[in-house]
Amino acid sequence: MEHRTEPKTFGEVFTLFATLWRENGPLGFARLAITLGKTPTAASRWWLGSVMLAALSLLFVLYQLVFVGHSSFNTSSDGVNWGLAISTYVYFALISSGLTMIAALGTVFGFKQFLPIAKRCIFLAIITLVAGFTVLALELGHPFRMLWAVPTGLQTMSPMFWMGVFYTIDLVLLIIKFYLMWQEDWDSPLSHAVGIAGFLAVILASGMLGLVFGSMVMRPMWYGPFTSIYFMLSAALCGAAAIVVTTYMAYGFDRNAMPERLRVLASGHELPMVFATLIGITLVMFVTRFWVGLWSNLDGLDGFRALVKTPLFHIELWLGLVLPFFMMLMPKLQKRMKPQMVAAFLVLGAMFINRYEFIVGGQLVPMFKGVWTHSLEAYVPSATEFALVGVGFGLALALYAFGEKLFHLSDAPPDTETAEPQRLATA
Amino acid sequence: MAKWGMVIDLEKCTGCQACTVACGMENSRLPGEHWQDVIFFQEGEFPNTELKWFPRPCMHCENPSCVAVCPTKATYKNESGQVLIDWERCIGCKYCMIACPYGVRFYTEEKPSYGGPNIKDVFPSDDAHSWNPPWKAPQEDWKHGVGVQPHDVVSKCTFCHHRISTAPAGTVDLDPSDPALREHTPACVVTCAPGARFFGDLSNPNSEVNKQIANKNGVRLLDHLGNKPQVYYLTGVGGSVPAERAIKPKV
Amino acid sequence: MTEQNFPVRPKVPLSRRRFLQTTGATAGVVGVASQTNLMTFDKVHAQPAAASASTQAATVVTKSFCHQCPARCGIDVYTTHGRVHAIYGTLDNPLSNGKLCPKGHYGQYLLYDADRLKGPMKRTNPKKGRHEDPKFVPITWDEALDIVAGRLNALRDKGESHRFATLTGRGWGYTDVGLLTEFGKLYGTPNYNLGHSSMCSDASELVKHFMDGHHAYSAYDYAHCNYLLVFGAGFLESFRPYNANMQNWGKMRTKAAKTKVTVVDVHLNTTASAADRALLIKPGTDGAMALAMAHVILTEGLWDRDFVGDFDDPSLKFVPGQLVDVARFKEKWTLGLAEWWNVELKDRTPAWAAGITTVSAKDIAAVAREFATTKPAVALFERGASAHTNGVYNGMAIHALNGLTGNMFAKGGLRGYQTKTAWAPLPIKVDDYLDDYAKSPDRKKPRLDGAKTKKWPLAKNMMQEIGINMLAGEPYKMDTLMFYMTGPVFSGPDSTKWEQALQDVYVIDTSPYPGETNRFADLVLPDNTYLERLQIADTYPYEGYPISMIRVPAVKPLYDTKTFGDTVIEIGKRIKGPMGEYYKKIGNTENIIRWMCEGFRDKPGDNGVNDFESFKAKGVWYRKPYIYLQQRGVFYEWDGQGYNTVLKPEEVKAKVMPTPSGRFELKVGELEHHADYVQQRLGIPPEKAPFPQWVAPRHGGDGDLHFISPKLAGQAEGRGANLPHVSALIQPTQGGKRNVFLEIHPEAAGARGIRDGDRVRIKNKVGQIEVQARVTHTTRPDTVVLPMIHGHWAQGRWAEAQGRMPTGSTNEVTENLSEPLSGLVCYHSGMVSVERI
Repeated sequence: MEHRTEPKTFGEVFTLFATLWRENGPLGFARLAITLGKTPTAASRWWLGSVMLAALSLLFVLYQLVFVGHSSFNTSSDGVNWGLAISTYVYFALISSGLTMIAALGTVFGFKQFLPIAKRCIFLAIITLVAGFTVLALELGHPFRMLWAVPTGLQTMSPMFWMGVFYTIDLVLLIIKFYLMWQEDWDSPLSHAVGIAGFLAVILASGMLGLVFGSMVMRPMWYGPFTSIYFMLSAALCGAAAIVVTTYMAYGFDRNAMPERLRVLASGHELPMVFATLIGITLVMFVTRFWVGLWSNLDGLDGFRALVKTPLFHIELWLGLVLPFFMMLMPKLQKRMKPQMVAAFLVLGAMFINRYEFIVGGQLVPMFKGVWTHSLEAYVPSATEFALVGVGFGLALALYAFGEKLFHLSDAPPDTETAEPQRLATA
Repeated sequence: MAKWGMVIDLEKCTGCQACTVACGMENSRLPGEHWQDVIFFQEGEFPNTELKWFPRPCMHCENPSCVAVCPTKATYKNESGQVLIDWERCIGCKYCMIACPYGVRFYTEEKPSYGGPNIKDVFPSDDAHSWNPPWKAPQEDWKHGVGVQPHDVVSKCTFCHHRISTAPAGTVDLDPSDPALREHTPACVVTCAPGARFFGDLSNPNSEVNKQIANKNGVRLLDHLGNKPQVYYLTGVGGSVPAERAIKPKV
Repeated sequence: MTEQNFPVRPKVPLSRRRFLQTTGATAGVVGVASQTNLMTFDKVHAQPAAASASTQAATVVTKSFCHQCPARCGIDVYTTHGRVHAIYGTLDNPLSNGKLCPKGHYGQYLLYDADRLKGPMKRTNPKKGRHEDPKFVPITWDEALDIVAGRLNALRDKGESHRFATLTGRGWGYTDVGLLTEFGKLYGTPNYNLGHSSMCSDASELVKHFMDGHHAYSAYDYAHCNYLLVFGAGFLESFRPYNANMQNWGKMRTKAAKTKVTVVDVHLNTTASAADRALLIKPGTDGAMALAMAHVILTEGLWDRDFVGDFDDPSLKFVPGQLVDVARFKEKWTLGLAEWWNVELKDRTPAWAAGITTVSAKDIAAVAREFATTKPAVALFERGASAHTNGVYNGMAIHALNGLTGNMFAKGGLRGYQTKTAWAPLPIKVDDYLDDYAKSPDRKKPRLDGAKTKKWPLAKNMMQEIGINMLAGEPYKMDTLMFYMTGPVFSGPDSTKWEQALQDVYVIDTSPYPGETNRFADLVLPDNTYLERLQIADTYPYEGYPISMIRVPAVKPLYDTKTFGDTVIEIGKRIKGPMGEYYKKIGNTENIIRWMCEGFRDKPGDNGVNDFESFKAKGVWYRKPYIYLQQRGVFYEWDGQGYNTVLKPEEVKAKVMPTPSGRFELKVGELEHHADYVQQRLGIPPEKAPFPQWVAPRHGGDGDLHFISPKLAGQAEGRGANLPHVSALIQPTQGGKRNVFLEIHPEAAGARGIRDGDRVRIKNKVGQIEVQARVTHTTRPDTVVLPMIHGHWAQGRWAEAQGRMPTGSTNEVTENLSEPLSGLVCYHSGMVSVERI
């Protein structure tokens, strides 16, 4: 393990880069940028790959948008309007909200055993939200116009308006919270206030994101307050899965490399129990939603019947939710790293499918297109839309690696039960 | 102010699509960008098959769900009852397209539904317009969603706002057989050969549209959703209103 | 090949201005002041409506008439700053009445078609073929016309002017294809105007000619009709005049006595669906149903006695299976009813017809009773019933119903026939310019298409025979063909034969579009599109009173193109001898129109049009009413105040029903003259030939499914294939928006393992094409339906688009089989087999 000092102020961060530049020259700086520092860390393993993924995907997307425009997407007025790009945005936005909820376990609700992951959760919440917004901005027709048109419009009837408001507030609060954590302010009244406010903000934001869909009475597959609850609770699941994966990634899949408290959390009973509980809740919601949809005769619910026939649905349900659920319940598996990793990956994959199938599935029954759309809408994302997914994941992973390198993301408030203040090192 | 509404007599409508083509011509629409469309359904089995159809303009609802969801208030309802789009405010989020129960909205940027090259590439524009066809109509009003639109915005039927907004004040019904009113009547109403379309002031109890609705049991589509369209259908033999919004998919 | 011909303007997708727009930098601040009321969305945008006043001043409206079908609806063409942007029906035109069908609004798309030809061209690639690039080079009109004149003069000098032929399609009016008659006389060719009508709808015209003496389409009084019976015509999709049909439909279905409608067709189209009763009949058997209807009308005593006559003893009846005494039936305005009964009708019961048609006997009898007892009524038919080998006899059985029920020339019935317009004759007489060569009897050669020869004695045209005749060198080898408004290399049955036939002949195409003929052309003389033309025409038969219309150019020609009529005149000027003098005197088509309009001075139109200038201003000349009327068995003529003048039988024969007998012939006199021909071609005994009768159809092609290729409402008859606006809504009943689909019944599909959306092959001995299947209940189990618009391999970048279905023309699987009397191609008669690919 190497001891490294974490820069503590913006000034220090800037100085760090300036020093590296001066010491190594531009070429050397570039080489350092590629390898993410002089000494290899766990983060440097995925840094280059994710930077390449983000860069290449972004270049492709921008090329398509400049020379072809948004018709490089396979969404259409006659068919599916919101496609893979929107479901990817929702995926990342809800991961972000979920991570904030997980962080709140420690910072708001006082479950001290979850404090070692709180700072990482907040950091990841910021970058996944940024990744989500980036994907959304590339999907929108005129993204920058939002900046003045939304405030001047003040369309308070619109769930999307509030979604934007709350996610903006959420992002600001996250940044403040992270700053405070970075400054090792864990306990001040401000820190607590920001923590609570941030938790409320993500409840409102993810709930409002749910209401974007749930308010739509003309879309029976989405309609209802349940969608809001569904988004909120499944966000928590995503957050849990995300933090499991990312924490293990940061330590090279080696628990022994983790700081003590973190290792205890990872090896203990609570993590899998929380995880399993969240998967269980999600499964219950999933099943009840599909039960109602398949059972009911209401016009417009035929999409459920179609979804159930797709392989993706079954991969999501059985492989992505049911299997991890049982894995996390089995005493033999639940505390071991590999099963936890696998379960978390599967859940993340399942939830990606889930957002896609929720959003696109809800548009499968066309709105008065008659025989212009013969049966259900057909939609397969285009290469550009897949590239947008690459932008999202690449950006999130790259920023994570960068943050992992720059910051001590496993920092936690001092453990008041053991007298020693923990000065944590990153591998 | 007039509350402009439309009445479509399905007993007369022959499903010819002249209204669709006239709208496309008057408003310089892309092929397939059917602000007005005639939607067909097939029901029943041979030899008792039914073909059902109805013309579907924008409904210009009294409680438009599309206006409610627009985050920038780009889409709005004006004082004479049309639901319009301001193309300088639209961010292209397509929420309004999701929220419209009647599927009347179109996004500019999508792959052509017709075969062959994208006609926008064949007649490109050198400026902010999304394309520049040689037959482009002269009227343009981006604040009201009239004309060839810029890229990346949503567009839809305006009830020919550029025509009806210049109608003489106090006009009760826009009858295309009246030479004084013809240029102010929506294109689809002007061209309808069987005379199946009527356009008039729903707030005036003496208007022809109100009389038609009353005499021939005018109905609105998907009334249970509560949007309260300002387009009424006089159901009849030729076309008729289907029970559901989509043909029954084979799942 | 297509890419190099269709340059795409380089795009500037992200111009500086667009980039700024994207970043919101140029977006102005929108009325913030109006956004004050938060919770409501009844917004008032403070902006006034865009001031279109300034543009309205620059908008010019000119008159023209549409080209997309034969109806010739009068249109107002809106041009602003030199751009044509809108077309609406002319309000004070009695045919359009301010309305249009969908096709009327395509004009500006056709004008500005991206693939239009820019000027005359000549071919430099000697090889000809579907995939051969002609390698056209642009030439001047002088050069082009000199080439044509050079060839024509050379032929004439050799005494072979008959080896030049002009094949025509939708040509209208004296200044258009009308010029070709004189051209042919002067030049000395019988092939001056080989029309397409045998590939169009000649059978119905021949039926009318046989039975009521008018070789024409009928004029109907739909607005007052109380019962409409349609056999095989797309009344609400394409039957002409389509726009007027729809206007009348609106009236018929909402007038006080709502018109009852029965449609007999082979698949459920909008016409059948909008009707009160749809009967899906076995293709080619409409005649059987009509005969059974006539049988019922007679056996139940429902015929119109005022018009037809009656037995001299009311106790005498028509009894199924029993002969009647012909002498006891006293006929008034029909001829041969009792004989017809004896020879044919007595055994044609509904039960018999049900076995042939698959329409139930109950329905047939019900329709017969309704039709006969609801007055006035119309029975009409078109290609659906007549484009079969038994087509004329089918048509005769159907048309007979109008006679039996007294609806001929009646108000609300089959109103009559088109009256001619009082055009003034030209001041120049063509006979003064015929030289000895032109007058020589040697010039009376048989026509290239074989019409009016022993092979096709009653046919008006036989265009479908030209390809195979040329391949056989019959009746002589051709030197030069000129095509105008017709492209049989795509639209003719067994169309691929034309690709061989056009190899060895000099081909001149006049289409402004790069169609299939263009691919085989040696010389291209592109025409002006209709919006660029000055032209006059007479109406399609509508309600009988004379109507004529004029096209005023909306814009100057966009390219170096020339109106066909003027091209003919220019060619004529260059022919040596008095023919050249004639055309030099004529000058151009405008001169002709001005001369002809002088006829309006004495007979001004109801709208005041009395000369060339007022004609251009109004767009239409017409004089109502139709001057004849039959009512309760009496024929009247309009005397200026009313239908007061009673016509004597010889006057009726001269003016109203010019058949040999002067009556509505159920025993057709002309067929008696051609009885041998009828026996030879259809196996009918000579004594039976003159009567409407059941003749079993012989279906072309091979396979187990009937193949139908109807026209659809949005189809601009071959000119819409390169218009994406048309493709986007081409087959709305089946959701065809990029392709057209083959309608196939679930039973037929299931038996062949075909699922909805599958790619299938349609094939028979003629050829094969591939198409996407649409499994649907709108067609019969034994019939598949494929609309005829797509399948082009030329016409432009959209028409030829890869991946658009079908892969070829419907004519590649249509046998070149003709109804023997009229010569009508049996388009709706072929058999195919369908298999999944």
